Amino acid sequence: MNGEFYNYLPLWATLLPVLATIPLFFIERRSPMFRDFFAIAVSGLTFLTVAIMYPYIAAHGTIGVSYPQVFPPFGISFQVDLLGYLLALIASAVWFLATLYSRVYMQHEGGGNRFYPFLLLSLGGCIGVFTASDFFSLFVFFELMSLSAYVLVVHEETEAAMAAGYKYLILTLIGGLALFFGIVIAYELAGNVDIRPGHFLFTEHTRLAFVAFLSFLVGFGMKMGIFPMHVWLPDAHPVAPSPASALLSGIMLKTGAYGLLRVVFNIYGADFIQEAGWHIILLVLATITIFLGSAVAIAQPDIKRRLAYSSIGQMGYILLGIGLLTVTGLQGGIFHIFSHAVMKSTLFFAAGAIIYKTGKRRVAEMKGIGYQLPVTLACFSIASFAMIGIPPLNGFISKLLLSMGSLDAGMPFFVVLLIVSSLMNGIYYLPIVINAYFGAKPDEEKMGGWRRLFTELKPSMLIPICLLALACLIFGLFPGNFPLKWAEIIATMLIGGG
Amino acid sequence: MTHLPIIVVALYLATAFALPLLGRVKKLHTGYFSLCIATAGLVMSLLTLFYVAREGTFSYFPGDWPPPVGIELSVDWVTVLMHLTINLIGLLVLFYCIEDLSSEVRPGHETWYYTLFFLLMASLNALAMAFDMFTVFVFTEICTLAACALVAIKPKALCVEAAFKYLILSTLGSGMLLLGTSLVYMVTGHLNMGLIGQLLPQAIDLYPLNILIALGLFIIGLGIKSALFPLHTWLPDAHSSAPTPSSALLSGLVVKLFIIVVGRIIFQVFGSELFLMIPIPEVILLFATFGIFAGSLMAIAQTDIKRMLAYSSVAQVCYIYMGMALVSQTGIQGGLLHVFNHAVMKSLLFLAAGAFIYKTGIRKIEDLVGIGYRMPLTMAAFSVGALSMVGIPGFSGFISKLTLAFGALEAESPFFVVVIIISSLLNAVYYLPIVLRGFFGRPATEFQWDKLPLLIIAPVLALAVINIFFGIFPGSLQELARLAAETWLP
Amino acid sequence: MFETLINILSALVSNMHYLTAMLLFLIGFHTMLTHSNLIKKIIGMNIMETSVFLFFISIGYVHNASAPILDDRVAAYVNPLPSALILTGIVVAVSLTAFSLAMVVMLYKHYGTICSDQIMRLREEEQ
Repeated sequence: MNGEFYNYLPLWATLLPVLATIPLFFIERRSPMFRDFFAIAVSGLTFLTVAIMYPYIAAHGTIGVSYPQVFPPFGISFQVDLLGYLLALIASAVWFLATLYSRVYMQHEGGGNRFYPFLLLSLGGCIGVFTASDFFSLFVFFELMSLSAYVLVVHEETEAAMAAGYKYLILTLIGGLALFFGIVIAYELAGNVDIRPGHFLFTEHTRLAFVAFLSFLVGFGMKMGIFPMHVWLPDAHPVAPSPASALLSGIMLKTGAYGLLRVVFNIYGADFIQEAGWHIILLVLATITIFLGSAVAIAQPDIKRRLAYSSIGQMGYILLGIGLLTVTGLQGGIFHIFSHAVMKSTLFFAAGAIIYKTGKRRVAEMKGIGYQLPVTLACFSIASFAMIGIPPLNGFISKLLLSMGSLDAGMPFFVVLLIVSSLMNGIYYLPIVINAYFGAKPDEEKMGGWRRLFTELKPSMLIPICLLALACLIFGLFPGNFPLKWAEIIATMLIGGG
Repeated sequence: MTHLPIIVVALYLATAFALPLLGRVKKLHTGYFSLCIATAGLVMSLLTLFYVAREGTFSYFPGDWPPPVGIELSVDWVTVLMHLTINLIGLLVLFYCIEDLSSEVRPGHETWYYTLFFLLMASLNALAMAFDMFTVFVFTEICTLAACALVAIKPKALCVEAAFKYLILSTLGSGMLLLGTSLVYMVTGHLNMGLIGQLLPQAIDLYPLNILIALGLFIIGLGIKSALFPLHTWLPDAHSSAPTPSSALLSGLVVKLFIIVVGRIIFQVFGSELFLMIPIPEVILLFATFGIFAGSLMAIAQTDIKRMLAYSSVAQVCYIYMGMALVSQTGIQGGLLHVFNHAVMKSLLFLAAGAFIYKTGIRKIEDLVGIGYRMPLTMAAFSVGALSMVGIPGFSGFISKLTLAFGALEAESPFFVVVIIISSLLNAVYYLPIVLRGFFGRPATEFQWDKLPLLIIAPVLALAVINIFFGIFPGSLQELARLAAETWLP
Repeated sequence: MFETLINILSALVSNMHYLTAMLLFLIGFHTMLTHSNLIKKIIGMNIMETSVFLFFISIGYVHNASAPILDDRVAAYVNPLPSALILTGIVVAVSLTAFSLAMVVMLYKHYGTICSDQIMRLREEEQ
């Protein structure tokens, strides 16, 4: 590790939000406004720090530093490769938008003094997960993120929020402990827990290796919300304030997917998993998760709850992408990590805007809301269509890639599964959109003409929604876009084992 | 320099006897005087640490009489680690005593409290280095007396009753210890641990029964004193009813020292080969496993915060026993790390709980709602202790659990890793609700800093800082524990 | 058959002191744990400790040897170490007894009884 400046970028991207909580703690006692701006500035700065890593990553492949003196015998170390970079980039971008969005939204929720420090702490944890270069560092940041997110979940402190939060906390701890178990076994067997290309920790099919695999699956699967570890998710995501829900569903679930990617392709290796036949476990779980998430979402009257169940189904796609063990499938999975982050954040932001503006949470009540919040609903519709997988939106590309991947793997069953689940997505997303535009007669007074088109919300709330919806469109319209290309590079690298 | 360890003991004993006189001559600030002495003790144990690091471990013979005639005090890495733990925690608890005692003991009894405190500290320091069965017995008794008196000093019948129960069971333990000593003496003709250790391999062929009975008596006797499940029945009463500083000392230090003595007897007298020949490690592991679960489950059922902490100690003590009974070097290292880490965590938790009681008088866990807004610093420190108990990375409790898990894998019994993991979850079930109640669940009342005397809040925060420091940079401590483990199991 | 019985009996007789000590230990143990009277518990504690002292001292006893006072006419001495140690033990036992008796007095003043069962009942009533 040389001491050049760019090697420290991952460290700073992680530490900056964590350390910023200290000045934030003092600032927030003086002025809430300054607090909001400070938080926005910090998350923006984090995004920039992540963004400027790109030239170095393109040039060197990976960058990072390690600190073995912290937490011996593992040490804390940072290393970013393209996969970590892609996820860190999208995470910090969405986080920045969420912080921006929170400024107005949290004014009506209150309690910002507690919300912002933990928002930043979980940002630090999340970036840490994506930039960690060994499983132990990853685990540490994973716990930091998960525990900070608890505060975001219970923010409203209602009875329901406390109950959901407790469930979340206990299951998170179980997941963390399972992860701990896996890491301890891996360390004992392999002597290190590094994430390095072509460096597999397990080379023999022993019972202990399988136990470790299951622990990792439980640990990361808990976060990812795959069946049967999903029970906390539909409770926890809806009760959180909307910006936090967007982050929980959009980004934090992905840390689990990221961890599982690393486990499958960096600890065991695709060949190993294929030989052992463990990918069948992943595929079975993915099938159940996709069906369960989509089917239950249909029955949810609460919009945020519906979105939360939809997240479960979508995480099933990503798991499917991992479990197929083909380059195209994996590319689809990785691209879906990216595109689901964009889509789900749009949806939660928009749902939050609806709740903020009208106080309505039930889908049935949202008749004619498209006239009241035209831009928000337009964005919501774009993201919904993307979710369903209507071309030319980004959700379509990931589903296409996944289908092609399933065919490559010789499992056409999954193509059917994808089609059926898209149908189900349609069943629960379209009514919201249809209701919003056609559920009631156009109300001219509420519309107020085109002049008021972009004044339905404060710009700091509207801009994040629009930007993300635009992203859904752009990354779908231009198939040559960077996440897609990167996903291909990453998938080739991971499957090739190096 | 080699005299330092015994000077600490002598200094503490002398202070213990000088304090009442001092308190009588003039209403001197006996508390501040005690603080000076305890600081000197900590400095001396640090100097010993540096000396041992530079010159290596050594044996000290008081009056230059080598064994078998004289007494031997072994200043090895275990001793150094324990001295550091004892004197550090003792000093911080003493800080807390100065403000807190007036609300816990009868007016005018503070000086007596300090006397007992120094008696206890002297006996603990001596126990840590005693390498002679009879010295162990004598200091065990001093320790028991001082510890019981520290419980009974609170003017409540409840405390006296708890102390009486503690005393009776402890005496039973010391009786067994002495009987075991005499059995070993009968066979080997020595009281020095090293000499007994040399002779035992031959003696075991001739008198196997004597030696087995002696080992059983040692483990049961010291097991009572160190609250090894199911011999823990005295602990919850004694530790929960005692004055807060006493609870911190009893849970943090006293039980640990007896475990250290058990460790010395197992590894330095009997030796790991002999110990592994008979199924005693399995029995201890069994008890420890049950104890970990039973202690945690009973802690979940408690409504009184100090009682809950006491039951948690039952479980935590079993971790240390488990580490030793795994008979792997990493396991012992983990056990010894947990001795230090648990001492820090548990005294932190007891002192923080004591601060709640001092300020608000609340002992019931369910009444602690919103305390995080009235006493944020104390509650933050308590949360540090609680998260450390649960084993969240970044806090010292995680490090000892990690090392114990490695020890279990090294001993090729992954089952105990699962035990550690499940018990961490159980810890979460009873520790986290307190933290959550403190900070969430009720509409935020007006935030205010905890208006506590500096001498109460400072040791609590210091312990929290120590906990986090050794959670993030455990390297030096791990090295110390590794060296100590090597003394026992090369 | 008969001879082995004789052997066993003679072994028992020659180890009388050990047997007595063990018996006393068990009596003391039993008294401490089962009696509800606090004073009896303390008596049991003393019996138990005394039994250990007896055991320890009898280890050092050598048949037909004299007290360990240096004298040219004596061939064998009794081992002085156990006696010396037990002196310390007795001191410890006395202080323990004194301390526990003091606690019993305090308990009696508060509850008006020295029966641990009654004390437990009274305590529960208080709470």
